[in-house]
Amino acid sequence: MLDAGRHPKIEILAYSEVEGLRRRRGGFGLKVRRKSRYVKEDVCNACGLCVEKCPGRALDDFDMGLRKRKAIYLYFSQGIPAVMTIDPEACIYLTKAKCDKGAIDYEMKDTMLDLDVDAVVVATGVSIFDPTPLTHYGFGRIKNVITGLQYERLINATGPTGGHLYRPSDGKPAKKVAYLQCVGSRDLNYCGYCSSVCCMYSIKDAMLAREHDPESVSYIFHTDLRNVGKWFQKYEKRAAEEYDVRYIRGRVAEIEDGPDGNPIVWYEDTRQRKVEWLEVEMVVLATAAMPAKGAKGLARTLGIKTDKYGFVETDPHNPADTGVRGIFACGFCKGPCDIPETVSQASAAAQRAAAHVLAGVTA
Amino acid sequence: MEPKVAVIGGGIGGIQAALDLAEMGIQTYLIEKSPSIGGVMAQLDKTFPTNDCSI
Repeated sequence: MLDAGRHPKIEILAYSEVEGLRRRRGGFGLKVRRKSRYVKEDVCNACGLCVEKCPGRALDDFDMGLRKRKAIYLYFSQGIPAVMTIDPEACIYLTKAKCDKGAIDYEMKDTMLDLDVDAVVVATGVSIFDPTPLTHYGFGRIKNVITGLQYERLINATGPTGGHLYRPSDGKPAKKVAYLQCVGSRDLNYCGYCSSVCCMYSIKDAMLAREHDPESVSYIFHTDLRNVGKWFQKYEKRAAEEYDVRYIRGRVAEIEDGPDGNPIVWYEDTRQRKVEWLEVEMVVLATAAMPAKGAKGLARTLGIKTDKYGFVETDPHNPADTGVRGIFACGFCKGPCDIPETVSQASAAAQRAAAHVLAGVTA
Repeated sequence: MEPKVAVIGGGIGGIQAALDLAEMGIQTYLIEKSPSIGGVMAQLDKTFPTNDCSI
């Protein structure tokens, strides 16, 4: 991330969206909206004094709504570019938060930028399924039922709890945690595919909980464990042997709100062929991973095809090629994949794009 | 004329693609809709299968 910020050949256009594409002399003309931050990028040095004075509040979307942030905010602490942004919906435009450097500009407007490029790489990534419609899991109703991404923020030292697993209802440390697999994934009503990363990240989450607190106990309720990848099988075994992670084969039927804010998990143990229940202190839903919000609209703008779930379609023989000459794709926007695979696909797409543009130069 | 490429999405995939292109001497625009680059990966604590920090 830092390397990309420093590289002389990379210009980062953050807080910007592609709104139009025109074919131009073998290349493309991209129309890019540079959304107004109400803060001058070239003046702000993210000192944070404005944040202290700002009275506006909003849910912090980087922390998955687990805490509030100010209306003027730094998206996350290591973010690049390191500049403040004002959330216009939370800002009350009253105090005119003072900036000694004069970086704040309440009159700032969106600007449109025309970019001439020879190729495009689509890497719009992933968004997370909202489990609220699965009412039997109680997300949004039972406080101690959270999503996998919320868990990541809890266990993260820079997150809202400073890395402690304090559960949302009463702030007590959660020591007995259930992880539910296939929440929205492999479900014909929602995402009829395997999201491919949930089994592994749930095992990782359970291991981290144990590292953090030696008394913690984790239960992973799974359809079947799909840990396909180098060292993955070993990882799954190591979690059971060294971290006391307990695997239970069975999809959870229902979660009840139990005593003291403890969720009660009802499930069929398909190995024992028995319906059982388990009282835990917190539940983590491994929610389906989907194409990013807005990815379908972008695909339409670019003229590339998507499948019924919104994943970008690519040529099976040239997996980085979208079918439109000069437009390439990589990562989760093409279909479920983990970080190492995304990185390899990204290098492949970069190579294809380079071959495309450099051929034009040398010809 | 100097070749240019636009990378749409500033997560781990977009960052890697942009770095590779830039290393090949190609002027690259990295376009991200959030206030800063990093994407979902930046929200993660550690990543499997090595349990390394994500950023």
